Amino acid sequence: MTDALFWYGCNMTRHAEIIRLGTQMLAAVGVAAAPTGGPSACCGSPKESTPRIAEGMANRTMQRFNQSGAAQVITWCPTCHMNLDDFMGATHGKQAESAHLAQALWQRREALAPLLTQTVAGRVLIDMHIGNRTGVNEAVPGLLRLIPGVTVLEHPYRAPSYMCFGLASIPGALADAKANMLAAMAATGADTLVSIFHSCHRELVGLERTHGIRVVNWVHLLAEGMGLAYQDEYKAWRNSDDPEAAIGADRIAAAGEEAVRKLVLPELARPR
Amino acid sequence: MGPGERVVAPRYADWAELRAAESARMLKACTACGACFEACPMIAYVPDAQGASASETVRGVLAILQGGEGDAAARGWVAACTRSAVCIPACPEAVDPMLLLRLAKFTAQENGTIPQRDAKDAMSRVKAFARLGFSETEQKEWL
Repeated sequence: MTDALFWYGCNMTRHAEIIRLGTQMLAAVGVAAAPTGGPSACCGSPKESTPRIAEGMANRTMQRFNQSGAAQVITWCPTCHMNLDDFMGATHGKQAESAHLAQALWQRREALAPLLTQTVAGRVLIDMHIGNRTGVNEAVPGLLRLIPGVTVLEHPYRAPSYMCFGLASIPGALADAKANMLAAMAATGADTLVSIFHSCHRELVGLERTHGIRVVNWVHLLAEGMGLAYQDEYKAWRNSDDPEAAIGADRIAAAGEEAVRKLVLPELARPR
Repeated sequence: MGPGERVVAPRYADWAELRAAESARMLKACTACGACFEACPMIAYVPDAQGASASETVRGVLAILQGGEGDAAARGWVAACTRSAVCIPACPEAVDPMLLLRLAKFTAQENGTIPQRDAKDAMSRVKAFARLGFSETEQKEWL
């Protein structure tokens, strides 16, 4: 039995430090949340091309949530979050309240603000998307403004979709979104691009190497303000000349060399 | 609230019932005015939709929803929808065009009208990254 679940989704396994930091932040404001995700707690969206399979995955996850006794499901992935509200909730009902991590922290900002003791220099622009219905476009700027030294800049540009993932498979769409975001950074004098979601983060971190800007996730920035240590290994691997060497032979062997070569290294080495 | 009680009650028995009920509602409500097409930021990325009639393209989407092929503009739009949601407030009939496109995409992928997304390695990739980034304890407790 747990008070709350931190449902990080599936593709967040690339960003273990964000799961750790999110859990630490929730604990710091009084929410004991157990991380859950991966293939065994999937909303079904990766298999949505075959709705029958997606439904089976979503059903299993919903049953798991309802049997956990958790009073709250704190989400990370916007796809999971929306599926919980529409297909999953519409066919199972919900036994737990749900909120996105950014909303959950914003609701507890009175407890969070005194913990943000470290000054973080940055003129930041947030990578926002128009399709977001999780409340993050409102909560994330508020959270970042609590960090001493951070200036959150405003620009009207909003990328299509609700995160970068959907744009990546449409020819030209992701490149346009990146170009528009870089133009917005130049127009506002921003030095830091802040991603909201994991798929945006993995698409944008390459700009750090190619455009001399800083790219961080909003959780990273909040962690810096709280003095929490972290390493963004995905960014380090992605921007390395040799991702295989950056990961290291021992870790690759432990994770399964064949799988890493087939599934991980090609993603890290794709054009930025 | 006691154990087992729901904060939100289910409205449908399963996805099939949801799809059937929502499809029937949308087919009845939609007037094919084209406001959703005109509001969509992804049309610029659909070559077959350039210069297409908004109304005719929506009729094509409705045809796809019912198991038909639609026209090239409609198929391209269904495939390119990334759920930007701007069509929802644009619709004067409260159809929820974003859901319309999503359900049409379900049907189109099931009957082969548009290709399925290749997701065969998605979960294997998720697990490979977990083995790289999670400690052994985290793998046991988080996955």
